[in-house]
Amino acid sequence: MQIQSRFCSHRLAALLISLTFWSGLPGPGHAQEELRIATSYKLMTLDPHYANLNENTSLLSHIYERLVYQDDRLDLKPGLAVSWRAVSDRQWEFKLRENVRFHDGSPLTADDVVYTIERIRDFLKSPSGGFRSYLTGIESVSAPDPLTVVINTKGNIPNLPLSFSSIFVMNRPAQGFQTTEELNAGRAGHPPVGTGPYTFESWSSGEVLKLARNDDYWGGRPAWPQVTFRVIESPAARVAALSTGEVDLADAIPARDVASLKQRGRIASVGAARINFLQFDVERDRLPGVTDKSGEPIANPFKDALVRRALAMATDRGILVDKILSGYGTAAAQLFPGGLPGTSETLQPEAPKYDEAKALLAKAGFPDGFNLILAGPAGRYPGDGESLQAIAQSWARIGVKVQPAAAPFSVFNTKRAAGDYAVWYGGASGEAVDIILHALLASPDPESGNGALNFGHYRNQAFDAMLARAESIQEGPERNKALAEATEFVMADQPIIPLYHFHHIVGYGPRIGSYVLHPRGWTTAMQTLAATE
Amino acid sequence: MPLISVVLGRLSQAFLLLIAMSLIGFIGVHSVGNPVFNVVNIETATPEDIRQATIALGLDQPIWRQYLLFINNVVRGNFGTSYIYHLPAFALVMSKLPATLELACVAMLIAAPVGTGLGLLAGRRSGTIFDRTVLRSSVFALSIPSFWLSMMLILLGAILTGWFPSGGRGTTARFLGQEWSFLTGNGLWHMVLPALALAIPNVALIARLSRSGTIEVENLDFTRFCRAKGLSSRRILLRHTLPNISVPIVTIIGLQFGGMLAFAVVVESIFAWPGVGKLLIDSIQLLDRPVVMATLTFISVAFVALNALVDLFYAVLDPRVRLS
Repeated sequence: MQIQSRFCSHRLAALLISLTFWSGLPGPGHAQEELRIATSYKLMTLDPHYANLNENTSLLSHIYERLVYQDDRLDLKPGLAVSWRAVSDRQWEFKLRENVRFHDGSPLTADDVVYTIERIRDFLKSPSGGFRSYLTGIESVSAPDPLTVVINTKGNIPNLPLSFSSIFVMNRPAQGFQTTEELNAGRAGHPPVGTGPYTFESWSSGEVLKLARNDDYWGGRPAWPQVTFRVIESPAARVAALSTGEVDLADAIPARDVASLKQRGRIASVGAARINFLQFDVERDRLPGVTDKSGEPIANPFKDALVRRALAMATDRGILVDKILSGYGTAAAQLFPGGLPGTSETLQPEAPKYDEAKALLAKAGFPDGFNLILAGPAGRYPGDGESLQAIAQSWARIGVKVQPAAAPFSVFNTKRAAGDYAVWYGGASGEAVDIILHALLASPDPESGNGALNFGHYRNQAFDAMLARAESIQEGPERNKALAEATEFVMADQPIIPLYHFHHIVGYGPRIGSYVLHPRGWTTAMQTLAATE
Repeated sequence: MPLISVVLGRLSQAFLLLIAMSLIGFIGVHSVGNPVFNVVNIETATPEDIRQATIALGLDQPIWRQYLLFINNVVRGNFGTSYIYHLPAFALVMSKLPATLELACVAMLIAAPVGTGLGLLAGRRSGTIFDRTVLRSSVFALSIPSFWLSMMLILLGAILTGWFPSGGRGTTARFLGQEWSFLTGNGLWHMVLPALALAIPNVALIARLSRSGTIEVENLDFTRFCRAKGLSSRRILLRHTLPNISVPIVTIIGLQFGGMLAFAVVVESIFAWPGVGKLLIDSIQLLDRPVVMATLTFISVAFVALNALVDLFYAVLDPRVRLS
């Protein structure tokens, strides 16, 4: 009896041991020439005009191309267009690159650009309206010859070429328009066809995108015969995949994992062309959650620039950048990291000055401070939730008692739109600094679309005039200087408190020689340089 | 008569369950927030874009009308189009099903025999070191969070030793019109760690159940009679004890299997295993209501079906159920 049951357990042990040995065999290796990237950007659609989100455009930029590119200084560079010029105040002319072919073999012509504009403006229906705002200023578009596009605008739009740095060019089908459903069906429908360095192989929404080299690419033969993007949203899983060498590159690395990854691979980072900030409601007379020390509601204190200034002086950006972002962030005093076009050289982040801040607050009539609820999203931007806590501690030193309230991004937006917040943490990004100035600080006007992100309804007509003047100037140093001056002027009034520009962090393994990060935060195979052995 | 009334009873229960589930899910997702902010880029969209998108998604309607519209569409077999992926919602859920199904099956194929075997042996030799080891490790395995377990498996199996990949499905092969990982060596390789992460807590659960069942049955008269008759220990264990303890084990296997299909969220996220659980949690985060509703409906139906299957199994396993 005893022998029998022992036999049983022996067999079990043998089974377990054999399982362990079997597991010791290595898995099949990957083809050496394939580039494998783990990305946080989930590709939601193959329609390049469906939604203006980095989630889509980052990956689709392998397949489709734009007329104009932005380099890593955000300066415009020729893309599918070799040159462009303003014929008059209301007319632009783009010259297309010769001998560019789509993946199906058809040549790129001016008519394809016309088709692209028509598709976005006239064919696509909401909710796929992300790109329409770039084209609202266009009166008409025509193609006088196969390599020339002429665009008539409704007014003077000096930065029209910049708009085309966001728009992917599609080719005109035999008839009608390609629908989003046809494109999303992939190989079963109309697989996406562009002019880009890689051609579409297969995809699975939110899982994987496989690309192959476009040997006929106009810019020369791309580096990798195969590129596979794996969508891995969990940061820990991305780091693990990079650590084990299953992928060659992983994007959006959390700052806390950088130290351990540096032992196994390399890290690249760049300050993002974007801003995270605190925004005040400066319009309403009473605000939810803003009370005096005894809990009685008080009149909106943020209407007073002194109060905004005092809170800005009492904000310790050093803690946000050094502790919360582990150094992978830059303290902010304006909308873009300094040095990019249109930024001011004189605006520098200031160290906290608590005594002066407290004096200012007393001057504004709040010697004892007041209570407020500081709202913000959690998990949307690096360091968002933790920043609320840190700011609460800083502001407590001047008597402002803060109750941080972090919520999931969509909940936060719903509540902010409903007017539930008095002061909140926000984020903004754009192709150029004037686009953010326009959206965030210009007086809100639903007609013109100005102030789309100015949820606090800050109005400053002198600034509006300065911004309008700057925007009427052609691209160049003069325009950048005017933008910097407008920024300096408006920031003196402290309509928002700029907090930081976080860094995009990418980790990569030995098969990649170097990786050039773009301030816009894209992750592409084109940014890699293969290691030469 | 009894069969029909049982089936009818079951169906009406299932129907009520689906209605209740859809109401809770619908109102729940609605009250969390506005999905429009995940569809348009809030950092560049104009208020007009947001208004247009709200109308296009039908979110400007009162909630009760949205619900009636939804039910009306579901009755006609249409769960709507995903807000985020712009694909038919139910087809999206079904496309993630093979990944979940194969992972759950492999995990259960590990958990059920190993758990039952360990439990039988431990119960048979209760009080020995083997029994105490099984008991203690099962407490440990049941009490560690699956997040931690998954991370430890990745650390040991992938990062330190490099034996297994840390995530993803690996190479898949086409079968029955779907992509499956278990048909390729590389796919099976990718499946080992996530399947273990799912299986280990279930091994512990099943082992504890079968251990306590075994101890109970081993002291009953019929086992003693078998022993007196001179049957071998192995024969008693497998032929007499096992069938007598199998009803609760089958129940728990059925329930746990349903749970793996639906709620392997943590394991699927950490191992980047693109299954139903991961789709559900992603969709909840993005407030993609059509997908959430399609997934919840599928899960409810799966649970009802699994329960019915378990009941059928009772009849097979237990003659008393058949007779009554």
